[in-house]
Amino acid sequence: MKIRVKVNGHLFESDVEPRTLLVYYLRDELKLTGAHVGCDTTSCGACTVLFDGKAVKSCTVLAVQANGREVLTVEALDQEGQMHPLQTAFWEDHALQCGYCTPGMLMASYALLQKNPMPTEEEIREGLSGNICRCTGYMNIVKAVQSASRKMANETQESLEEVATSGTSTE
Amino acid sequence: MVNFSYSSNLQGSFERPDGVDKVTANLKFLTDLSFPNMLYGKILRSVYPHAKIISISAKNAEELPGVRAVITSKDVPGLNRFGLIFPDQPVLCEDRVRYVGDAVAAVAAETEEIAEKALQLIEVEYEPLPVIDDPEKALLPSAPQLHPDGNILHQASYQKGNVEEAFQTCDFIVEETYELPRQMHAYMETEGGVIVPEKDGRITVYAGTQHGYKDRFQLARILDIPESKIRVVSSPMGGSFGGKDELNIQPYGALLAIKTGCPVKIHQSRRESVRSGLKRHPMKITMKTGASRSGKILAHQVRIIADTGAYATLGPAVLDFAVEHAAGPYIIRNVHVEGVSVYTNNGVAGEFRGFGGNQVTFALEGQMDRLAAKLGICPMELRKRNLRKADDPGPVGQEIAPTDGAAQVLKAISQSLLLNNKEKREESTSQWKKTGIGVAIAMHGGGLGFGRLDPAGGRISLNEEGKIEISFGFEEFGQGLLSVIEQLAIKEIGCSSNDIKITIGDTDCVPSSGSSTASRGTSMVWHALQRMKGPFKKRLLEKASQCTGVPVDQLYLGPSGIWSCESKTEPLITYQQIAYETKDDPIQIETEFHFPTTPHSIPGGHYLYSFAACAARVEVDVLTGIVRVKNLEQSVAAGPVIYPTGYLGQIEGGSVMALGYTLLEEALMEKGKYVTENFDSYLIPTINDIPLSMNITAIEDLYEGDEYGPRGVGEIGTVAVAPAIVKAIYDAIGLWVTKLPVSREEIVKAVNQREMKEWLTTKL
Ligand code: FES
Ligand code: FES
Repeated sequence: MKIRVKVNGHLFESDVEPRTLLVYYLRDELKLTGAHVGCDTTSCGACTVLFDGKAVKSCTVLAVQANGREVLTVEALDQEGQMHPLQTAFWEDHALQCGYCTPGMLMASYALLQKNPMPTEEEIREGLSGNICRCTGYMNIVKAVQSASRKMANETQESLEEVATSGTSTE
Repeated sequence: MVNFSYSSNLQGSFERPDGVDKVTANLKFLTDLSFPNMLYGKILRSVYPHAKIISISAKNAEELPGVRAVITSKDVPGLNRFGLIFPDQPVLCEDRVRYVGDAVAAVAAETEEIAEKALQLIEVEYEPLPVIDDPEKALLPSAPQLHPDGNILHQASYQKGNVEEAFQTCDFIVEETYELPRQMHAYMETEGGVIVPEKDGRITVYAGTQHGYKDRFQLARILDIPESKIRVVSSPMGGSFGGKDELNIQPYGALLAIKTGCPVKIHQSRRESVRSGLKRHPMKITMKTGASRSGKILAHQVRIIADTGAYATLGPAVLDFAVEHAAGPYIIRNVHVEGVSVYTNNGVAGEFRGFGGNQVTFALEGQMDRLAAKLGICPMELRKRNLRKADDPGPVGQEIAPTDGAAQVLKAISQSLLLNNKEKREESTSQWKKTGIGVAIAMHGGGLGFGRLDPAGGRISLNEEGKIEISFGFEEFGQGLLSVIEQLAIKEIGCSSNDIKITIGDTDCVPSSGSSTASRGTSMVWHALQRMKGPFKKRLLEKASQCTGVPVDQLYLGPSGIWSCESKTEPLITYQQIAYETKDDPIQIETEFHFPTTPHSIPGGHYLYSFAACAARVEVDVLTGIVRVKNLEQSVAAGPVIYPTGYLGQIEGGSVMALGYTLLEEALMEKGKYVTENFDSYLIPTINDIPLSMNITAIEDLYEGDEYGPRGVGEIGTVAVAPAIVKAIYDAIGLWVTKLPVSREEIVKAVNQREMKEWLTTKL
């Protein structure tokens, strides 16, 4: 079946088997191997990507369902060699060990912060409860999301101040 | 409002060298790789836990378009067996299957779907045989024999004094049987990789393992080709925890790749992984422990039955470890430990973080708490009275490196926040929730132990580009070995991280370092660098002196190159320049040595030990039986900390894995078949299950004269957690749990019993 799907800002037209799962489409067709497969039962979250802005487990979505939709994977988090604050925080706060769960954790955290830029610790735990990490014990993952959220808030603050001082307005 | 807190005395963070690639997904796991003309492999595993194979017909599968090869036992050119200690597990079964993970055939096809379809077309005729699903049944004389030498894989024992006589003199005796579950490693990346036939006739095996050279050795034996024809690339990995040390998909991938001449990728699904993969040994441990009124333990009798499943792998070594640690850090005059590891038709049990220590420590610490309750003394005090002194021999009477780690961790935990914060202790969020606190300690041997091949080694060189290249035959599976190597190199050599290139996990370019197991990696890297740094620095300095005319004693290694006492802003000569000057005779130092072992010939007896004490505070919901671990603290004595965040990560991650072991995890089997086939029924801790706070303290001081440096902490953080939690449950509701994972039903039932109600009201 033919699909047109926007992945990380690029439009792809592909011919996929109806049974192909989105995660395998991303991994095998588009060679975006950041989304990992850790289970067959929607239980682990290693395959989490953004689907029209929402965090979904890409092992539960068919590639054909992505037709006309927009998908964002971990590969698009860093912009022009600049890591996203979440990526920096996961690295600096040691929120990863083997790193297999990390892309899914990052995408779930990304979706969480988009919805709720200053989550409480309980909200972080709630937001990431669908993502399993076997290595870290999660403590540092919570810490990383907190520090990314602080950093992002500061950045927004700074850019607002910049805007205010330069007297220009943005669209 | 819930309060969360994290703290530790470990300060200083160094970012992992592999961190950026992991957060940007630039890092490719071996299961992420793909190659031109790559085929997909699938393995057909037995439908019966125990059966005779009457016939296998692959004809229909072979004829399916897109199928490129089907292999059965006839296609194995060399030894059709594997196993880390002795090879008894068939690569492809000939005439009999002994567990549901046994492989009978494998397929390579153009797509994974075709390969899967082909598996369904392979016709295997079985004659089911009686299933032994319980190790005690396997020991009955009437039980069918699973292997030529019977159903006993291994027996081990230790005896000193006379327990029978000593029990006569005891004022108090506690006897209990503890049951420990089959825990799954649940590494997030299931077994997999790609095996590539190379143009020069060699093959490259890109598949995770904890000991590349050992895989190469085992594969050469199976494929009947020289080891030099095999390259094993074994890093990075999405977790292992001991579970990928044994061969898994490698032989099938290799046989199929050789047969088809194409790269073959196999990546097991979680279901396949559960079915075929190793697990922690389920054990039934009976302990009888007696003490005098004054709290001196006089006798300790232990019987261990381990369910090792269908094949040996590291089963014998796990049992030896359990026997060795059965009296742990306590000095008891009369001890008798007997262990037996038994073949069954259950899933294969093997290496798993903690290596048999978790099971016996759960039982041993349970005994200590029960005895203390009977004696009416503080459980910490009972432990203290019986604890080893620095110069005492090891747990099986062997000479060990003197250590007071046991006393240190006990002291540290008694000063912990959790045990000193009365307020927190009493706090309970509802009348149906009871809180309690428990403490346990653990002693854990590092390395493989006496009589085991436990070689180590490393290499350091100045490569052509002027990088200080440090190579070890170890693997990175998340534990942070790369950071440890980097930090140690910076410290010992004096260079900066930019000057270093680390090479691991590739048999074509690393020296043999032994396995990345048994908490030995950090320790062996340190030892290797101690041996290599002197000669390496000497050669660099001599060359630098030759080139610059400055005497050696005024030179030292620093960032980017060799500095003189006078040079302030830049090195006198850079590493690149020295590399250029030495291109005809490159500077390279290699070392080979053995992990330090006890001189006493006790199979598997250890020489270096680490210690941990754990305090846990739980909240038990008496209506639902749900146990929440609210706070967890650990004190760890494992020598100097090389990489603080990595150290913390090992203890925190280990604690949570052990929390899962205590409260959630069990790979249930019924009649030899898995009931929990995936993460929907095999539950591992999520972010919602972890404590609100964890506090880790590291005791870095080694005992006077101890020159063995840092010990690894991959395992120690997992050992004392279960007994601490279970004691906390007793503290909360007065129930002694003997079986893990803790059953909610058991709690609710116990609470409903009259005596328990009384206990609860008196507690209130
Ligand atoms: S692979 Fe998608 S949730 Fe586990
Ligand atoms: S870092 Fe290994 S699973 Fe999360």
